[in-house]
Amino acid sequence: MNLYEWEAKKIFQEHGIPVPPSHRITKPEELRKIHLGYPLTLKVQVQSGGRGKAGGIQFAKDLKEGETKSAELLKMVINGSKTESLLIEPRLTIARELYLSVTLDRSRGCAIFIASAEGGIEIESSKNVVTMPIPYPYHDFVGRDLAKQVGLTGNLLNKFADLANKLYKLFESKDLELAEINPLIVTDGDEVLALDGKITICDDALGRHKCFAGWQETHMLDLSDREKRSKRAGLNLVELDGNIGILCNGAGLTMATMDLVKAFGGQPGNFLDAGGGSDTEKTLEALEIVHDNPKCDVILVNILGGITACDEVAQALTAFMKRHPERKLIVRLRGNNQDVAEKMLAESGLKLYPELEEAVKQAVEQSKGKQLAGAAR
Amino acid sequence: MILVNKDTKVIVQGATGKMGSAHTKRMIAYGTKVVGGVTPGKGGTKIEGIPVFDTVKEAFQATGANTSVIFVPPYLALDAGSEALDAGAELVVLITEGIPPQDAAKLVAQVKAKGAKLIGPNCPGIITPGECLIGILPGSIFKSGPVGMVSRSGTLTYEIALALTESGLGQSTCVGVGGDPIKGMGYEEALSLFKDDAKTEVIVLIGEIGGSAEEEAAAYIKANVKKPVVAYIAGQTAPPGKRMGHAGAIISGGKGTAQSKIEAFEKAGIKVAKTPSEVAKFVAEASKQVARA
Repeated sequence: MNLYEWEAKKIFQEHGIPVPPSHRITKPEELRKIHLGYPLTLKVQVQSGGRGKAGGIQFAKDLKEGETKSAELLKMVINGSKTESLLIEPRLTIARELYLSVTLDRSRGCAIFIASAEGGIEIESSKNVVTMPIPYPYHDFVGRDLAKQVGLTGNLLNKFADLANKLYKLFESKDLELAEINPLIVTDGDEVLALDGKITICDDALGRHKCFAGWQETHMLDLSDREKRSKRAGLNLVELDGNIGILCNGAGLTMATMDLVKAFGGQPGNFLDAGGGSDTEKTLEALEIVHDNPKCDVILVNILGGITACDEVAQALTAFMKRHPERKLIVRLRGNNQDVAEKMLAESGLKLYPELEEAVKQAVEQSKGKQLAGAAR
Repeated sequence: MILVNKDTKVIVQGATGKMGSAHTKRMIAYGTKVVGGVTPGKGGTKIEGIPVFDTVKEAFQATGANTSVIFVPPYLALDAGSEALDAGAELVVLITEGIPPQDAAKLVAQVKAKGAKLIGPNCPGIITPGECLIGILPGSIFKSGPVGMVSRSGTLTYEIALALTESGLGQSTCVGVGGDPIKGMGYEEALSLFKDDAKTEVIVLIGEIGGSAEEEAAAYIKANVKKPVVAYIAGQTAPPGKRMGHAGAIISGGKGTAQSKIEAFEKAGIKVAKTPSEVAKFVAEASKQVARA
């Protein structure tokens, strides 16, 4: 879950990382109550990157310009991400910009610092970047080591090291995937501040941090209704443009099924991975979500039961067919408790396809028939 | 075969839970030597005919086992894994899905320090067909033979194993290393074991979008593995920027695409199958060549 900048900065402040004074507004007229002094910086709050390039950061020399620009900014959508609010800060004079972040490195299997003596940059394309694996358990000398590697000296070395230590402790204590300060600035008054911040919380860890209770609901601004339902049900849905609804168990198998549909000339309407060990209730909700996509003509179900029991899936299919007898279903079901599932479904008249490629071909054929029928109407 | 065989003694952490007990039963039915379970507070009882212990240390001492499979809830997994390592486990198989990656990283650090092996988290486990099944794989679709398999996916592993088995191509050992970004064993470690295993003639590597593990594996194979390798990459049609089910399966900043992985394999002289059934076809061809040589 990506946090908005204003949330990230609030958390930074709580962990002793200094940030500029700021106010969050949701209406232009709220600017009148703010006394930060002009010129002001107006920043759209979105869950997407590329904000600066898209024009999501503006400056205002007075209240009038501030209100006009705020009204425009509040309507902005950046890379499909809606503006939630604006963050208002004084326009600061920057003497120097730096970069600092903590994230997880999948190749090394540990947390890492990424730092640079240049800030406000796209870190992937920058040359002067220091990457440092973070030892576990952590010690504060690691921050000094990092500051030294970045090439800092004197007072700034100590201030940067202190911030790195605080940022790592925040990263660890709140189970973050990413804690980034970009840019970290030194003002003309020698103050070191986090001018912009990004925090990604690990979704899997939300359940053990009471301070984030309910946040998932307030960070769904950019999701479709079906994506929201999936998230609440613990299903993994990605919406696609085609007319074949795909429901499988396991991410790899779902991707492989999607690839096969395309290879056989069909168009996937969604990717839905019901995960491992889904019971009847969860599988039924998954079927309903795929069914509710207005573009969907055929549903292709491919289940290979390991931790998922085929009979649980069969029960969900039976209930679904009672609710929606008109819905075209192509089902492939194999693995643990397959025999029980087959017996349960024998009465329903639903044909089961033992081979994956046969099932996919059938689904593609049915989807084309539907498209033609639609065109004829 | 690698890592596990008919003599491997296993204890199950979380054996009395819903998942743990169901799969303890399945593993025993398959013929795996499951010699004990661990559930704190239930020591002295029995489940599926095997003794339950309060601690891993006790279970290892009483049974002589040195392998543990973990079925505990996500937030208890780091502690369970640490307990197994502290008790001297040489192999830990961590099935649990949804473990916070920082917990996984802390476990990986301990595994490295102790020189132990960790499979998972979020994985289906490991099987040496006909001898030992540890985890949640459906045993019936595997059969013994010369193909070694390593995969980031669970159910896709079953799909490809099924295609192999139905084509008469059995497996030496199949390892599901799991779909999480932070995990124990990766492709390289599994490949390093398969390359020296007498029973394994052909290796199948199943990958997916996200990260750079497949590219690194391609370089490792080119430099170190003489046996034929067949690869398959899931997510060839995945849209960028979307997390495709697995926490690790995401194309970000133009990196981690199926295209980049396929190119890396092809450059290393490794055949890449487009469909699961093509994997079986390529393996059959490679087996014939091995037989001729």
